[in-house]
Order: sequence, then structure tokens, then C-alpha cells
Amino acid sequence: MTNPFEDPDGTYLVLVNAEGQYSLWPSFADVPAGWTVAKDAAPRQDCLDHIEENWTDMRPNSLIEAMGG
Amino acid sequence: MSASQLEDILPLSPLQQGLFFHALYDSGRDAYTAQIVFDLRGPLDADALRAAAATLLRRHANLRAGFRQRKEGSPVQVVHRRVGLPWQDADLSDLPSDEREAKAREMADAERARPFDMAKPPLLRFLLLKLADDLHRMVFTNHHILLDGWSTPVLQTELFALYLAKGDDTGMPRVTPYKTYLAWLAQQDRAAAEDAWRRALDGVHEPTLVAPAAPEPGKEPPGRVRTRLTEELTSALSTRARAHGVTLNTVLQLAWGVMVGGLTGSADVVFGAAVSGRPPELPGVEQMIGLFINTLPVRVRVRPADTVAAALTRLQGEQAALLPHHHLGLSDIQRLIGGGTLFDTMTVLENYPFDQGTAGVDLGGLTLHAVDGYDASHYPLTLAAVPGPRLSLRIDHRIDHRADHRADHRADHRADHRADHRADLRTEHDAHRLTRRLVRVLAAIAHHPDLPLGRIDTLDDDERALVLDAWQGPADHRRPGTLTGRFAEQAARTPHATAVRAAGESTTYAELDARANRIAHRLIGLGVGRETPVAVLLERSADTVAVSLAILKSGGAYAPIHHGHPPERMAWAVAEIGAPVLVTDTTMRDRLPGGLNTHVLMVDDDPETAAQPNTAPDVPCHPEQLACVLFTSGSTGVPKGVMLRHRDAVDLATDGRLTGGAHDRVLVHSPHAFDASLYELWTPLLRGGTAVVAPPGPLDGAALEKIIAAEELTGLFLTTTLFNLVADERPHAFGRLREVLTGGETGSPAAIRKVLAACPDTEVGNAYGPTEAATYTTVAAQRARLADPDETSAVLGRPLDGMRVYVLDGALRPVPPGTVGEAYLAGAGVGRGYLGRPGTTGERYVADPFGAPGARMYRTGDLVRWRPDGVLDYVDRADSQVKVRGFRIEPDEVEAAVAACPTVANVAVVARDDAPGGKALVAYVIAPSLDGLRDFVRERLPEYMVPAAFVRLDTFPVGPNGKLDRRALPAPDYGGAAGRAPRTPDEERLCAIVADVLGLDRVGADAGFFDIGGDSIAALRLAARARREGFDLTPRDVFTRQTVEALAGTTEPDGDRPGFEVLLPIRTSGTRPPLFFVHPAGGLAWSYLQFQRHLGPDQPIYGLQARAFTRSELPGSVEEMAADYLEQIRSVRPSGPYHLAGWSLGGLIAYEMAVRLQDAGECVGLLALIDAYHGQDLGSERRDVLPELLESIGIDATMLDPDGHPDLPKIMAVLAERDDALATLGEDDLVNVYRNYENGVRHAERYRPGRFRGDVDFFTALRGRAPGSPSGPSNWGSLVDGAVSDHPVDADHHLLMEPAPAAVLGAVLASRLDALHRDHHSNRDDGKGR
Repeated sequence: MTNPFEDPDGTYLVLVNAEGQYSLWPSFADVPAGWTVAKDAAPRQDCLDHIEENWTDMRPNSLIEAMGG
Repeated sequence: MSASQLEDILPLSPLQQGLFFHALYDSGRDAYTAQIVFDLRGPLDADALRAAAATLLRRHANLRAGFRQRKEGSPVQVVHRRVGLPWQDADLSDLPSDEREAKAREMADAERARPFDMAKPPLLRFLLLKLADDLHRMVFTNHHILLDGWSTPVLQTELFALYLAKGDDTGMPRVTPYKTYLAWLAQQDRAAAEDAWRRALDGVHEPTLVAPAAPEPGKEPPGRVRTRLTEELTSALSTRARAHGVTLNTVLQLAWGVMVGGLTGSADVVFGAAVSGRPPELPGVEQMIGLFINTLPVRVRVRPADTVAAALTRLQGEQAALLPHHHLGLSDIQRLIGGGTLFDTMTVLENYPFDQGTAGVDLGGLTLHAVDGYDASHYPLTLAAVPGPRLSLRIDHRIDHRADHRADHRADHRADHRADHRADLRTEHDAHRLTRRLVRVLAAIAHHPDLPLGRIDTLDDDERALVLDAWQGPADHRRPGTLTGRFAEQAARTPHATAVRAAGESTTYAELDARANRIAHRLIGLGVGRETPVAVLLERSADTVAVSLAILKSGGAYAPIHHGHPPERMAWAVAEIGAPVLVTDTTMRDRLPGGLNTHVLMVDDDPETAAQPNTAPDVPCHPEQLACVLFTSGSTGVPKGVMLRHRDAVDLATDGRLTGGAHDRVLVHSPHAFDASLYELWTPLLRGGTAVVAPPGPLDGAALEKIIAAEELTGLFLTTTLFNLVADERPHAFGRLREVLTGGETGSPAAIRKVLAACPDTEVGNAYGPTEAATYTTVAAQRARLADPDETSAVLGRPLDGMRVYVLDGALRPVPPGTVGEAYLAGAGVGRGYLGRPGTTGERYVADPFGAPGARMYRTGDLVRWRPDGVLDYVDRADSQVKVRGFRIEPDEVEAAVAACPTVANVAVVARDDAPGGKALVAYVIAPSLDGLRDFVRERLPEYMVPAAFVRLDTFPVGPNGKLDRRALPAPDYGGAAGRAPRTPDEERLCAIVADVLGLDRVGADAGFFDIGGDSIAALRLAARARREGFDLTPRDVFTRQTVEALAGTTEPDGDRPGFEVLLPIRTSGTRPPLFFVHPAGGLAWSYLQFQRHLGPDQPIYGLQARAFTRSELPGSVEEMAADYLEQIRSVRPSGPYHLAGWSLGGLIAYEMAVRLQDAGECVGLLALIDAYHGQDLGSERRDVLPELLESIGIDATMLDPDGHPDLPKIMAVLAERDDALATLGEDDLVNVYRNYENGVRHAERYRPGRFRGDVDFFTALRGRAPGSPSGPSNWGSLVDGAVSDHPVDADHHLLMEPAPAAVLGAVLASRLDALHRDHHSNRDDGKGR
């Protein structure tokens, strides 16, 4: 069984939720509720690079807020 | 048969060959009987119908064919000029109407159950039942080898045309004979076809099996579930097919592929499809009656991202390219890609329904109405589709009646979690569910051409509700908390209770709180604040607890560094964490790595800490805040820091499963850096309990037992490996605990059972979960589960409070129960991610499609499955899937089978790449001995899952984390499997041929053909190939000689009659003293050939056979034979020890040989007498020996003439149909067997044995014993100095060499030989001799 997140030839999305958490996501699957597309269909590595560049603070937004930024 | 009766001798088509061999193998329970049943309404002229049937037989020569094997093995169909019409009438019209139908069905069933004799044409029968004056039923039964389903309407049409003509066919067109088709077949371009199929199946590495353990087909017809699509859906499917230029067949095949993919969890699916096989270029082919149909593999790649439209177009294209190559037989195609089964499901598009044109047509006032038909298929699951305004679907499934029985007892939970929980198509209920799934897939295909295949949902709503909700963790009503907040509350409640015990000293909650507060203030002073990671390097002590708590109180997160790691790695970890402070103590001073760019706090030698206030620092804390960073090994080799939140640790520590007192006094012994420390620290501390810190150093069973008693512990956690170790050496060590948790690897039921038995008041909890989801996601109590002796694994159970486990397929869809999928963890406990690795976090912690909006799930890489009763089973790692010989194998399943052996304490099964024939399974076993283990396992697993080697170990190698270190397992000695290299040009050529026939890379010159995968069909092929290449070889040679060495004639044959030599080499390789089997009265030792399978590869075996086959005079006494055979065995084994065995007369001869050997000063090891008695009056002068003789060579005596006269030609015919060596026995040899038997029985009566100094192993045939017969001990006891051990075997004397009793004999012999071998060695080592 090939894991849908491990397909080197697959196309992926980058999703982000309200907490600012990022997720790689195979483009064939429905986007789950509570997530929005941060980067449209692209090769896997491009998506991982996108996450690497944009997810600079890994604290969830609710915590960032509670800690006063 | 006289020459005039014989019309033609023809070869078989590939499919006929397949069916013929199946019929030979499954004789008596042939699943290839087909039946057509139809009613005839109106006035019937029965004579005319009978005449029509007779004409039908006359017109179609192929319906008059019988099937037999030529002496050298190749099958032929013999067309008889005339055959009698098998026609039977029965009048049921007098029966009451309610009984009539039942009787009619019963008679049809009986027809179907009655097997055909393949050699006796015609292989068809007509039964005409009169149900009423104007209602008749025709039951037409035939062997599938004659005709296929496509022929049915042709046959019916022709039969009734002939009926109208009262059997006169003068006006009818000439029949195209079947031999024309056979000639056409011979002209096809085989090479091109092979090439096309090879390309089509390139990259298929494993069979697609939905029911790998399905029983062989029996007489029972398959279960059937039918459904009809709506007209709307049917027409939408047709529209869809037209829109993409594909056939309905392609649409069905795609749907089947998607569904089977869902069942097997595979994205590369192969199944069979029936094709008509009628070459359009053959004139009149559509009107032929015969067997043309072929089952060919269809490969469907279910790529989740492909749209329905794209998948349809591709599949159609792939199938069209194969059209010209449909003439290749399935077995030929399988051979092209390495042999073996490719699939166990198939589809049939029945565009040959009960002929619409004929149905209801007026035939002289008579109308036809279909009642039923039974087409034969031996696949566990078959989809048959009949086109029409409403597409009709039928799923034929072979029901496992035991599963039905289990389902009946579903209320009893114990009955439902048995060993086999793999396939979910065992009951009719399941077949109905599959049908619903299929319809959903078809609807998706019909209506959504742009839908990616991965979005087609195959699960029922009720199944979905089970796996996503009902079986998940209990609803969680706890509010997220913080470790610091919960601890403060607890300390306030029980300030004077003991929080920590370490080195014999107690620390109260108040004291621990104060100490942690002081350290926290100190850390804050060093710059630690909220979310600051702080490195910790401590040997376990009371301060481990205080420091962890202090770091949390300062707002930071503790990040333990494993003190056992090399200094560079420690330094790397501290830098990776980016910790401003490293907390350690003076005992660690020497081990501190150099070059640390961080403040080092010696917590036990820091005056400033002592000077800090003991009040709680005023640092707010949030449940989402980071509590700890735990390093786990990464697949890339670089450790990853797992970030866990306060709420994760709190959720674990306060879980309901761990409530109730069992986890109130817990041993802290796991490395701080190991995730189990979360449980060990916080479970007791958030409950007012006590964390008991174990003394430094490794723990063994004795130390555990001591501290459990001394500290009155209630619970603790051990890694699977450590648990198994203690279970083996000191299972009672846990006796005073309430519960011991174990996890980290697949639990061993054997080890757990041992502990449960030794500790009646202790529960064993199997804990599962990765660090990423806060250590434990499931904890399953094992006592009730493992009380069921059939339970073969330690289940994972269900998720803990608020936790969820999704079992998903490659398209992120939940898989149905029984299907393996990957575990994704969601809900409580899913941590924040990997420290400083957003990319890795984003690919492992992913969006959760089934939880609250915006929730995440962690993908574990663990393969698990739901059992039907809603508990999880661990299967394997997704990335360590094992494939051996093309079969996907779950080592845990093999382990479970090995562990089921009572003597096995622990087992690990791994696939090794260093085996001679490529990858092979090896079982590492902790057990007193390996005696009989292989046979034990062989009884529980399919052959391909039986490990190639068993290795006995005293302990398992363990890595630094306490887990089994698989790479440190020693390479086994594969023994004779590799075999010696060929030594002569002939051997080299023969080795190459054998390798080719068996699809192996190479074979040793001394490897037994049947040991390395050969079977009877392969033996036929080997003989044929070898003859083509100039070797004078018959199939019998293959059966009797078996090794290349023997076949190439490098071992001297006795005279020029291979197979009949006095000393028959059965297996010449191996280092142990050989075992010599002496022939029974018939004189042949061929029945002993099978012991190769039962005795280890290191055990040479010889048979001794009567001289009657090579010379005319017969021996005069048992003594004479013994003397003769002793000379023979001394030629290959000049001195002892000698192992001897003999069945019946052979036992007497073996005994006499043993006595003579001892008289000559030789040592006799094993003496096995197989149901052999001396001094018995066998009535040799009076009785007719033939029936017994025939039984003793495996022929049912009822095959004789009714008056019991020997009928050699008839016996020869029976022999010829066997698929073993006896099939090659000639008439003269049979006469020799007969002479021997008579002679032998006479000598047996006269034999007077002498004294034997040693032990005797006696085998008693329990069945058919005459009243007053002696027992082995009573018959031999007074002659033998040693013991006579009696081994009863549940069989008749004459049937002892049938496979089942022979397996029993083999197991005992193997274990006795092993024991003798060991004794001999140890005695030799002691210098005592024997």
C-alpha cells in the first residue's frame, strides 16, 4: 500500500487551519472542513518547502494569543 | 477399448488441461460439475427428446471424449465412436405437490454431487423429471471440461430443433468439429502472446487475494447473492460507457477493481475475467458446443488520483491490446511471471443468458422456462453480470460455514475474535454488503466521470459509524489541563502524602512542590520562560521528578537527553533543542559532553538554587503550552524531537483506563527520554499516588520482584522485549502488581499467558501508541482475551478516552473491518509536532477529515486492522512489509503460529535477504528445543508462510532502547536448501532445467524436487523438457529419484531399472546417520518417499525394496532378506549408528536386521516397527490377498470386479490416473508386487525373532483391529531389553502411508531422531561413546 502522503510523483496541496498549523494534503482527496488551501496543487517537495518557509512559529494561534503574541 | 470404438485421439486445450489436472487432484470432490435445469410446459414427446439428445451426442464428437493420461504423463482426450446416452426418467407426478418440488431439487442436487469418471465418456447426463402431465423438468449435468456457459444456449437451441425433427438432423448445418479449434490453437503465435502478457503484468509482485485461507472448493455449490440495478442506473452506466468509448465489461471491471482494492488494501489489483475464447476467424464458431472459455488476468491499477474517465479509458486500452492473445492458458500466463496464483476473485459478463430467443418459444405446444443453473467456479468470490434493461449482478461466494456458526454466536463476544479475522466475505451477510458496496461504486462511476477514484466511498454507513464512532475511545468530558495546575491542586489536597520514593527515602507532595519551586525560580533567573526548552541530563533519581516539575513551573518544557548516548550525540541534541540551560547533577559531571554553548546547572550542587523561595513562581500556563520534547529515532537516522503539550500529558495521566488504583504506585525506571516516563511520572503524581524511582542500572526479573514487594507497587510498564524476558525467566515476578503494562512491539501471547498463569491477581495491559501521540493510544486488558485458547495475538483493543484511531487505505478512506490499513491517530494526545521541523510536521501531522473542523491526525506508519468485534490488531509497519516468493506475509502472523506451540517462550520472525534462494523467512525461537516445531507450524500456516529456517536462541539481542534489535539476529544455516553445485555437464544441464521448470534462479544438485516447490504437474513438465533435451527421463524417475544428482545418474543405479533398485536413495544429502525404511510385503518402498517432507533436510533417507523387481526368484525367509539388505546398507553406511524402520513385513525385516547388526557389534539407534507383529497366523494359504495388497499401494479395493477377480487392465487404468509414482507402475511390476505380497505374508508367519538390546518405537494402527490382536508391547516386550514405546495412529493398517497418518509417523520419527542425534553428540562430547 502506498501511503498517499509518500507518493513522489503525486500532486499535493498545502492546507492551513485556524490555528495556523500546516498540512501536506494529496490533491485527489477532499479538503477537510476547517482547512483552507494555502498552496495549490504542486509537487510534493514544493509543498514541503512552502510549509518550511511559512510555518515559522509552530505554536498554535490560540496559544500565541494567550501568551500575548 | 477396441480400435473400432476409437474415433480420435486429440490433445487438450489449455483450459481443458487445467480442468483435467484439477479433476485428478480433487478426485471425488470435483467442483467442476455444471448443471442446467429448465422446465418444459405443455405436452412432451419424451421419446423424441431422448432421440434428440442421442443425435446431439452423435453430432458433436467432443461430447464423446474421455480424458486420460498417457503413460508418460501427457493428457489426451480419446473420442469414442459410440457412447451410450446417459438418460434417466423419473415420474414425480404422483407425489403431493409440496413434496414434488423438493424431490425434484433433491434429485438435481444428487446429480450434481455424483462425480464423473474422467476416463469414461460421456461426461454428461440427462435427467428428465415428470412433474405433471404437462410439466417436465430437464436436468442436464456435465463436466465443465466438455462445454462452457456460452455453449448452453447453442446446446438448447440445437436440442429442441432436433426434438422438433424427432432426432433427425438431415436438415441441420454441419458442425464445425472441436479439433478444428484445437488445430487453430496450435497455429497461434505463442511467443507474441507471451510477450504481451509479460508486459501487461510487469511489476505485479504479489497476488491479489481476498481470502488467502479460503477452503478448497467442496461439493457445496457457492453461496449466491443477487441484485438488479435500477433501469436508471443501468442506462446511466451504458451512457457512461458510450461516452468514453468503452464496453460495459470495462465498466464492471473497473468497479470490481476498485472494490477488490478496497477489500485488500491494494492499489494494484489483479482478478480473473472469463472470456469467450471463441476465435472469430473460425467459421461456425458461434454454433459450436465445447470448451473455449478462458479465465484471464485483468489488472486494474486503482490510482486514487485518476479520474473515473481516465481509469476507464486506460483499462479499455490495456484490455484491447490483449485481445489477440486470449488463447494463452492461465497457467501459462502465471508461469510467465513466476508461477503461483495471481488472484482469487473473478468477473463474468454473462452475455449468454438463458437464450432469450428460445425462452417461451413454442416448440410444438411446448415452452421452455429456465429454473436454475450451476456453473462451476472455484474462486472464493465471483461477480457474474447479466446485461438487460436492469443489469443483474450476482456475487458467488464460497461460504466458510464455521464463520457462519461464529456469526450465530455473535452475542458471545468470546466466539468472535478468533484466529481468522482477515477476509470479510465469509457469510452471506458479508456477501450482501459487498453487493451494496459494488452498487455504490457503479453509481459513482455512472454519475461522476471526473471523480478521482480515491473519492469513491465504498463503506456502508453502518460500517462507517462503527469504525469512525462506535469503536472509538470513550467520549471525553475532561477539560484540557496543565501539568502544573493539576499537580498544584493535588499537592494542596494531599500535602503530606508520599509523592516520590527513591533510594529508600520518601518525599511528600509538599516537599516535592517546594523543591521544584526553588529550582523553577533558579531557572527563571537563568532566562527560562514560557515555551523555553530546557535540556535535562540526569540518571533517574528523586531529582528527576523535581527537575521535570520545576522546568514546567518555570514555563519551560523539559527535554531529556539520554545519558547512554555518545557525547557527540548528546551535544548535538542540546544544540538542536536550543536550550539556554542544561540541568544535570554531579553524578553526570564526567559524562558531560564538551563544547556546550549553554548554561549547565548542577542541580545538586548549586547554592543559588537552595537560596530560592519555595513558593510557586508566578508564571501562567496554558494547556496548549509545550511540556516536553522527547527524541525519537527518525527514519533518516537523525533523531526528531517530538513536542508534547501539557494537555497531552494530563490526558494520558488522568485517563479512565488507568484509574482505579492499579496505577497509583508506579515504578519509574524507563529512561527519562523514553516516552513511557510520561506515564511513570504523571499518572501517580496527578492522582495523589507515588512515583517510585528504581535504583540506577538495568532491572532484571529478580530486581523487579524485589522492588515490587518492597515498595508495594501497583503498576509498571515494561517494553515488550523486557516483559518477554521476565515472563520467560521469572513469570511470577509481577504477582503483587494490579497491572503490568507492556508495549513498544507486537505483544507475545505466549509470554503474556505465562505471566497471567503465574500471577492470578495481575492484569496484563497491552499498550500501543507512538511518542507523537503521547505514548499510549490504546491499552487492552489481556486476561479475558487470552483465556480463549484460540486467541493468537495480543490485541491493541480500543482507543483511550477522547482518542481516535482511524484505519485508512491509500486514498485516506476508512477500510472495513478485517482489512489492513494504516493507523492514523486523532483526538486527545496528538502532540504539536517536531521541534524545529515544520515540513516534517506538516507531512506527518495532517488534516483530519473525520474529526472536528481544523483538527489534525498523526499518521503512524503502523498497519493495523479492526477485528469484527471492534478491537484493533497490530499487523506490521507499513514500511517493513515482507514479501517472500511473491506472497505478502505478515511476520506477526507467522510469529503467532510459532508462539502457539506450548514449548515456545518467545519468537521473532524476520525476512532475511541472505537466504540462498533470495528472501526467506527465518524464525528465531526461545524454546528448550526445536523438536517438531516445523511440523507444528506447518499445520497452522500455508506452506509459503512456514519459515525456511528455525534458529534456537537463549535470549534475543536488545538495542539501547530496550527493543529487539532485529539486525543483531544471527544468520541461520539454511542446511541443504542451498544444495551443492552441479559437478558434471549433465547435472548442470538438469539443474538448469529444474530451475527453469520451477521458476527458481538456481537449484542444488542434491535438492529434492518436491522439497523445493515441485508438484506432480511440474514433474510431468520436467520429464517432458528433459526428454526434449536428450535425457531419457520419465515422470516416474522424477518421483522416485527426485534430486538432479540421482536423475543425472551420478549415483549408481542398481541395474537398469531406476525406481526398483534394492537400495532406493530417497535423500542422499545430509550429515546425520541415514534412516533405512524396509518395504512392506508388496516389496516397494515408494510410499516412504513422502518422509522427506517430515524429516529434516539433514536426515538422509533410503528405502529397501524387494529383489523381485529385478530378478525372478523370490527370497526364502525374513532372515534371508535381512542379510541381503544389510549388505546394501553397509555399502552406503559402513558403521553405526543405524536407524531402521519398517511397515508391516518391513518391521519384521528391520527387527531382524537390528538383531544381526548388534550381534556384529554395531550400534542401532532407532528401531521403528510400524504396525508389525510376529508369530501371527495371517491365513496366508486361504485368503485372497489382492484387495489388501491394492489398499497397501493406495488403491481402493472396491474398484475391483464385483466378484473380486483381479482385473489387471482395470487396475492399471486406476493406477494410471494417480498423480504419484504409482501412476507409472507397469503391468509386470504389478504382478511382481502381487508375488512379493504372497511370499512375504508366508514368511512373516514363520519368522521367529531373536533378542534385541535397546528401545523400540512401535506404531499401532488403531482402526480395523481384529478382536484379540496383540499390542506392540505385548508382542515384542518379552524379546526386547529396552522399552517398547507405543505410538497410536488413527488409521487402518493398510492405510498407514496415506498422507495424514504418515505425517503423524513422520513427526514422531523426526523427534526421536532429533533426540538420538543430540544424545549421540553429547555422549560423544563427554567421551563416553555408546
